[in-house]
Parts: sequence; structure tokens; C-alpha cells
Amino acid sequence: MLLNVRDLDVRYGRVHAVKAMSLNLAAGEVVAVLGANGAGKSSLLRALLGIERIAGGRVEFDGKDVTSWPASRRVKEGLVLVPEGRRAINALTVEENLLMGAYNRRLTSAVKKEVDEVYDRFPNLAARRKSRAVVLSGGEQQMLAIGRGLLAAPKLMMLDEPSLGLSPRLSEEVFVAIGELSREKNITILLVEQNTHRALEIAGRAYVVELGRVVAVGSPETLMSDGTMLEAYLGQGKATSAMSKRLKVAS
Amino acid sequence: MIGQQIINGVTLGSVYAMVAVALTLSIGVLNFLNFSIPGLFMIGGMALWALLDAGIPWPLAVVGALVIAVAASLMVERFTWRWLRGAPHFVPLVSSMAFLLLFEHIAIAYWGSDMRVVPEAFSGGDWRIAGLVIGIPQLMGLLCSIALVAGLSWLLASTRTGRALRTIAEDPDTALLLGVDINRVVSVVFIVAGLFTALAGILFAINYRQVHPFMGEAVGLKGISAMIIGGMGNIWGSIVGGLIIGTTEVFAISYFGADFVDLAVFGLLLAILILRPTGLFRGMQPVRFGI
Repeated sequence: MLLNVRDLDVRYGRVHAVKAMSLNLAAGEVVAVLGANGAGKSSLLRALLGIERIAGGRVEFDGKDVTSWPASRRVKEGLVLVPEGRRAINALTVEENLLMGAYNRRLTSAVKKEVDEVYDRFPNLAARRKSRAVVLSGGEQQMLAIGRGLLAAPKLMMLDEPSLGLSPRLSEEVFVAIGELSREKNITILLVEQNTHRALEIAGRAYVVELGRVVAVGSPETLMSDGTMLEAYLGQGKATSAMSKRLKVAS
Repeated sequence: MIGQQIINGVTLGSVYAMVAVALTLSIGVLNFLNFSIPGLFMIGGMALWALLDAGIPWPLAVVGALVIAVAASLMVERFTWRWLRGAPHFVPLVSSMAFLLLFEHIAIAYWGSDMRVVPEAFSGGDWRIAGLVIGIPQLMGLLCSIALVAGLSWLLASTRTGRALRTIAEDPDTALLLGVDINRVVSVVFIVAGLFTALAGILFAINYRQVHPFMGEAVGLKGISAMIIGGMGNIWGSIVGGLIIGTTEVFAISYFGADFVDLAVFGLLLAILILRPTGLFRGMQPVRFGI
């Protein structure tokens, strides 16, 4: 297992954002985490990276217990987050933003070649490499965020809502890029998305979370076939407590 | 006469400028008005005097004073910014003020509150060009401050640490998730602040040959004014602000007398603030300060 999470707890004061979540990812997998707003998805990713304090449980990454490691050490180990809202640094140029991705690596010619690879993959960025990131469109900023993540040499790339706020066409480009990264570079992907259907198309497995708990896990086919569940958790309808009870039993 | 005044003004101004650069870096990157900086200025000057007094040769005394001030600055970092990062922004500010008092009173406890005289650094070292007197310490001070600021701009613009500092200035949370060890990078700000301020204190001691435990306060106020005139967060602006204040002060003394110095300097500050509330130049991190 590349990532093995056992009974993870995250709390913000009195809010219990993540409750005893357990999940695991094998190397090379694409796994989606689905759930409504406030289900604890972002908190989960931030805790895995080490920028949210872990209140309980255990995180193993690549065979090492990283539960108490600082974020900088986890990033060095290849655990990388592409955050929600892209978070490009406006005062830095596109190229400097990419170099920030490689912050913990020595700037060897290999890294410079990787920067060029990012430009090949996302030609829009190449055209603006000396411009400040503030001039980029939303879609370009997402490409920049993914490129920046790539330069950290990720073993596991966690993406938090990469299609949020993008037009359908741009979202499509982002999902295609994510699929390519997984296939061509064999990067393991943990994808948090509200765009359920699109996420399930590229994921091999998915976890469904509600109010900080994992309520279902399975292949896209299994999850899609359960129409009630999709309606309940994944956007189209409102969850009722009766449905959630039924699902907990099922999972 | 006017030429000589300008030279003297630039000498004084380069001292203010270095203090202003230290202040502006701390504001620009950390959004932290570091009130311990006048204390570090005093430590630079007084430690130089104390080391010379103990019979230590000049070069070693200068290095020693710098090391002591940088260590003091890192102590301020540990107990103000690092511990109180999550607190409301005035909490680190007030605790840095406490460090100023602490430094001043430690100096009084060790060395007394009297004014001390620093021995002459370069005997017979004045240059006379066309009737103007340029002291070697004066020239050295100006060159040092320009070289240091050029080095600092290069650090900020073109190095890994500089990119990390600019990232922290704009968005510390993102810096953290990119794997930046924030505590380590931020100590660079405090090392630079300690170095610049202490060097200013040392140059002040060499040029004016007097040190005392409260020598930092008046200079600190002028440094803050220089920073505001130059545009907070703009390091080259701080240099310009420092030189403007230094020359204004020297001209005010010679034309109106010493009693009117503060009136002239702070009157100028007020006038500039009324005309250009954000200072003469744009800050390094406009994102951070808004318009």
C-alpha cells in the first residue's frame, strides 16, 4: 500500500471534521473521494499532508509512519497536494511558481527538464512563463497548480476540487490531464471532486464521505448502480437520514 | 557649504536607510512591525564599544557586535513571531516592544546609562575634494548600505529563499503546503534585520563616536518615517526615504538650529503622507497591504 490511513480524526475546536476515517491506496491507483460540501474532504487531504493537526489515528505513506511528520518532510517524501482554489502565488512569475513546486529539490538539469515537460504538457503556461501568475485565467491557474505539484516529484498527488469554477470544456481538459498523469507517469492520484460523474469516469475506486465519515467505498460501477446513493450523496438530491442509515449498513 | 551638508545628510541618511530596510522587510514579508529593531541598533553600537573597551581589535569587534545583534534578533524571532504567529497582529508588535525595553535595560545593567565614547576608527582618514570633507567611515557607510541592499534585492528576486519569502508574504498557508519550512525561512528575515540594524548602529558609532543605551529610539523613529516615506515593503524606497530624512535633518540643523530638527523631519513626513498616503513608491507586496 502506498497510503494507509487508519481511524484518522481531525478536529477544529469543537467541530469534529474527520471522524475515524480509514482508507488505503495502492501504488498506481486513481481513487476519488466524493461527498457534499462540509463532508470533511478538504480536511482529510490537509491532515494527510500535515498542515492540519491530526487528533487521532495513523497515516502510513510508502511504508513509513508519517503521522507526526511536518508537511515539509511529507512533501519531500512525495506526498503532494494540489489545493482547492489553485492558490497560485500572484507576486511570482509562472516559472517561479513552478520552481516553488520543486522547493525541496536541488535545481539540477533534470528538474529544469521537468519544467520544460510541464510547458510541453500545458503550452498556455509556456507562453506566459515570465508573466506574473495573476494574469492567468482560472483554467491556466489550475494547469499551473498541477504543474507545480508535478515538480515536487509526487508519488501520490492529491487534488482538491480541480474542476471547481471551470467551464465544462476546461474541466474536461483538467480531467484528461489527470488521467494522462496517472497513465504516463504512473502517479497515484487521490481526487476530491464534486463533479461526481466525471470523477467516477477516471477513478478505479471511490470513497463516499458524509459528515466526516466514510459511508461507502467501491468501484464506480457499484456506486453508480446504486441510484439512491448517488442521489443522496453526490449532488443531485438531498440526503435523508433514512438513506444514510441504509447506506451505512450496506457499507 | 551646501555640498558638505549633502554629504553629511547622506551619511546620516544611510544609517536611517539601513534601519528602514530592516523594518520594511519585516513588514513586507511577515506583516510584523518589529519594535525590537531600535534595540538591535543600540546593541550594534554598544557591543562594538564594549568589545573595543575590552581591548579587542577593530575587525573582530565589528564582527563580534554583528554576531551578538543577530543572536539577539533570532531570540526576538523565537519569542515573538514564532510563538505568537496565530495571535492578533498587535500581540507580536507589543512583545517586540518589550524586547526593546529588555535590551535597553540589560545594557544599562551591564554598562550603565552614561554616554560612552567610541575611539576613532581611521586616524587621518579624511578625503578633501574641492573643499569638501569626506570621511572614510562616511563613504564606507554609504557603500555598505548600497551593497547590502543590492544583495538583499538579489536574494529576494533570484534565489530559492527569496521565492519562498515572497510566497510566505502573499500566502503562508500555500507556502506550508508546498513544503516550505516556514520557521527556517522566516529566521532569514530576522538575521537580515539584525545584520542591517546592527551595522547601522556600528556605522553610527564610528561616525558620531558616541553610544548609550537609548541611542536606538530616535533613530528607530526616523527609520520608521523613512520606511513610510519610501512605501512600506519597498526596500529601495526605504533607502530613498532614509536619505531624504537624513538630508532634511542636516539642513534643518544648519538653517534653523537643532531645536527644529524634529519639526522639520516629522513635518516633512506629514506632508508626504498627506500628498501620497502610501509613500513615494509602491510596496513590495501590494497584495498584502491592499491599495
